[in-house]
Amino acid sequence: MKNNEQKYLKTIKKQKIKILIWQLFILFLFFSIWEYLTSKEIISPFIYSSPTRIIKCVIELIHNHNFFIHIYVTLKEVIISFILGISIGFIIALLLYEFKFLAQILDPFLTMLNSLPKVALGPLIIILWGANIKSVIIMALLINLIVSIITIYNGFQCTDEYRLKLFKSMKASKLQIMTKLVIPSSYQTIIASFKLCVAQTLVGIIMGEFLVSKQGIGYLIVYGKQIFNLNLVMTGIILLAIISYLLYKIITCLEKKLLKHI
Amino acid sequence: MNNILHIENLTKNYQTKEGIIAAIKNLNLEVKKGEIISLVGPSGCGKSTLLSIIDGLDNDYSGYIQKDNKLKIAYMLQSDALLPWLTIYENAILGLKIEHNLNRQNLEYVDYLLDLYNLKEFKNNYPQNLSGGMKQRLALIRTLALKPDLLLLDEPFSALDQQSRLLISDDVYKIIKKEKKTVLLVTHNIEEAITFSDKVIILSKRPASIKKILTIDIKNESSIYERRKDINFNKYFDIIWKDLDINEE
Repeated sequence: MKNNEQKYLKTIKKQKIKILIWQLFILFLFFSIWEYLTSKEIISPFIYSSPTRIIKCVIELIHNHNFFIHIYVTLKEVIISFILGISIGFIIALLLYEFKFLAQILDPFLTMLNSLPKVALGPLIIILWGANIKSVIIMALLINLIVSIITIYNGFQCTDEYRLKLFKSMKASKLQIMTKLVIPSSYQTIIASFKLCVAQTLVGIIMGEFLVSKQGIGYLIVYGKQIFNLNLVMTGIILLAIISYLLYKIITCLEKKLLKHI
Repeated sequence: MNNILHIENLTKNYQTKEGIIAAIKNLNLEVKKGEIISLVGPSGCGKSTLLSIIDGLDNDYSGYIQKDNKLKIAYMLQSDALLPWLTIYENAILGLKIEHNLNRQNLEYVDYLLDLYNLKEFKNNYPQNLSGGMKQRLALIRTLALKPDLLLLDEPFSALDQQSRLLISDDVYKIIKKEKKTVLLVTHNIEEAITFSDKVIILSKRPASIKKILTIDIKNESSIYERRKDINFNKYFDIIWKDLDINEE
């Protein structure tokens, strides 16, 4: 029996390694083809850049002491907006769950705000808060907040009715129902909202940096476009891809830990 | 035996878009200490509503319900309603935790129940590691841990397959008998009602009122299997079946 279990675990491990090898191979293939096409000038290296040009660009940025500053600024903005978006979203979702009347009143407004293209608010944000980090964070908040409110609120609403009845029959207080049942029941949705929120936050931050920033990866991309240095643009895009992957991975680890028994 | 619950002229109406729907009409019921009473009736006749009213979950009714202020009622539902993020032990003490009643005596009682009903060795596991029967037993332990005077069982076995249903209902019957609990059981299953109870109350279709109260005179209380073998079992079955009259308009 134990041998079978070990065999099964080994098979799963092997499968995971196989998947990882394939993923690395696809990346390698992508970068190799890209490098080959640009080195043979089948596609223009000036427009499409190339992996070696990107590496050179990164080294140059590190030499100019700019590389880590841009990453730091973007990461700082992402973390602040993400934490604010999730926390405020969580509190508003709690209030909507507790006060159904309020939820009914706000429902059309939330739907409207959710579908509004937030970039249209960009000029207004700059006028109200100026061309600084505040505007970037507010832009990200406008995008991630509604998503986190709607997702977390939906999670709360899906609390199992039998469990709710059980808690009520045990004469649990509203606070007990919230903390011991509704919130733990919604872990899965809360984590799902983290995933959505992190992606939306990145979109908001880059959008904000495009509009107002003087530092950050979004700024790097815009600056690269302005001086027609497409290596800088591609470096910014690759950096963004790496950051979004790492943030997603952190949330997946949290998910595994929190949802171990659910 | 003393009455622990007395219900007189209980009426419950629901307001819907189509108008007022009567769920229960002039229902009278008495429950004595130590009795096990089954409530049977057509689907949607208001059996679960009655339990909700008795438990105090629904206070929108007319009529008179007399129960001792100190009467402790516990509810066991159709679903085990276990919390998957809590261990088996944490699930068992959930009610005590909610009541802020985690004293040594109560915790020892929970340990005793877990030990008695063969769940102690799994106490640090999580509910998903338990079989359907074990989950139902744990749900019952969580209910018994509150030391209720009156147990309300709302179709507690209906989600189980026939085989598990027989095994688990036998388990639960033995536990209830051993703990000498007063029970109101809502069930659709006539056999379950006969083998479980001292009395079967047959309810009419909605609005629910009492059609007949049948006293079950089966002396053997060792298990529900043994009770099924009683010579009167079929007679009781026929009476209930006729009175249920599921084809009635």
